[in-house]
Amino acid sequence: MIELPLILLITALLGSILAGLSCSTIGVFVVRMNLVSIGYCMSHAAFAGAAFGLLINVDPMFGAIVFSIATALFLGPLSEKAKLESNVVIGFLFSIMIAFAFIFLNMIPGNAATGAALSILWGSIFMINLNDLFLLVLLSFVMLLFFILFYKELTAMLFHRKLAEASGVNTKMFFFAILFFVGFTVSVSLKLVGGLLVFALIVNPTSTAYQLFFDFKKISLASPVIGVVSCLLGFLVSLEWNLPIGAAIVVVSSLIFAFSILFSPKRKKGKKPLFS
Amino acid sequence: MGAVIELDNVSTIYEGERIPSLHNITLSIDEGEFVAVIGPNGAGKTTLLETINGLLPATSGTVRVFGKNVKTHGLEIRKKIGYVIQNFEIDSLTPFLSKDVVMMGRTGRIGLLRFPNQRDWERVFSNMQLLGIEGFKDRAVGKLSGGEFQKVLIARALTQEPDVLLLDEPFANLDVSSRKRVSDLLTTLNIERSLTTVFVSHDINAIPEACTRTIVLDQGRIVCQGELETVLSSSIVQQLWQRGKKHD
Repeated sequence: MIELPLILLITALLGSILAGLSCSTIGVFVVRMNLVSIGYCMSHAAFAGAAFGLLINVDPMFGAIVFSIATALFLGPLSEKAKLESNVVIGFLFSIMIAFAFIFLNMIPGNAATGAALSILWGSIFMINLNDLFLLVLLSFVMLLFFILFYKELTAMLFHRKLAEASGVNTKMFFFAILFFVGFTVSVSLKLVGGLLVFALIVNPTSTAYQLFFDFKKISLASPVIGVVSCLLGFLVSLEWNLPIGAAIVVVSSLIFAFSILFSPKRKKGKKPLFS
Repeated sequence: MGAVIELDNVSTIYEGERIPSLHNITLSIDEGEFVAVIGPNGAGKTTLLETINGLLPATSGTVRVFGKNVKTHGLEIRKKIGYVIQNFEIDSLTPFLSKDVVMMGRTGRIGLLRFPNQRDWERVFSNMQLLGIEGFKDRAVGKLSGGEFQKVLIARALTQEPDVLLLDEPFANLDVSSRKRVSDLLTTLNIERSLTTVFVSHDINAIPEACTRTIVLDQGRIVCQGELETVLSSSIVQQLWQRGKKHD
């Protein structure tokens, strides 16, 4: 098992909890709104942005935020109005962002910078600092506040966007707010979970919650809990077996998802729901 | 009673289309009127409803509801319009409870930064009771039959406490007794609360008693309007029905 200084341990632990909380909270909306493709694109844009930040000697998180928000601004209107099959454009952006990321990484001089860049690729306990923690706390707080205050508008939109619009909900505004939260969440969680895997932390806990519950309220409460548990267990596994933390978290959350499929009440006949 | 809905030379074209789905429609509906809109498939009935509530922007002409331009005040206007959508199919795994879906209709009315209170829930359960669906208020909508879900949608629109009700084939999937129940309810609401109602149906026999005017649409134009019996006996409508039979 890796021995860590206490401050580093606490920082990483808190970072894991907050990343799990924020990623799996936004995941509820990503899954329900079919934003998975857009989200993957944004996570790779964040990765490219982080690599660019390293290249120009700027905080990689700043680069990640800029790139992922820019992608949201581009993909948001596109997904609303595209006459071209949106998966085509998303596929294009997905691959070009990865290409840019590797180009930027290749251009970074010196081994240390490359090490930092690769840490962004698959995440690292050691990358999280107090500034990152502060951002994670802020993001989690703002996001939870947003979802609580506008819960009824968001759920109306998640049920059926056109009907929500017909009832007087400004769905465009909320849609773009969700996209921005996806961009921020991905960027802020990048250092811990890594650019290639961060989106799995957004999708897996929510997918698990969808397997277990029929009620959206319970899904939106369960998803963050599952996300935090996945991150904590992944963190412990990573320390115990010296594995990249991002990969460990994703494996744990994937196993939890697999178990949820086995025990899902949605596949059982004549039995009461598991959690009613 | 003044006009609640006014369309002035309105045409609507869907994006990517060249031919308008609505051609130069001029129409006025007064407060408390119950108007049925009939016509063959593709006549523009749904387009008309969605142009009225602004979900589909008019390409030309002016749409005014409650005296306000829908183009600039659409959001505000839609809070007061209840809309029952056509052919709404849901996934059996949709994770929303019936009572929550009915409450969603009230979202715009409740307003931003406010939460549903007891009175809102009383409205929800009262309307579910009117439609005979209070028994499955805690059931996920994905587990309802087509008819049960249709009633949830109607209850949702009524829970909004609308000033105008737009109904697009509201009797789809409903059995005969449910149709009667809903039809009587709509008639009561129209008479007792002067609820302005626009009712789209391809089934003439489904039109409720409260109907005061029937509009016939064909290929995006109003070809005839008046009392139902008068409209049905007109030569234009007879030709439409004959044309429909030839295509069957």
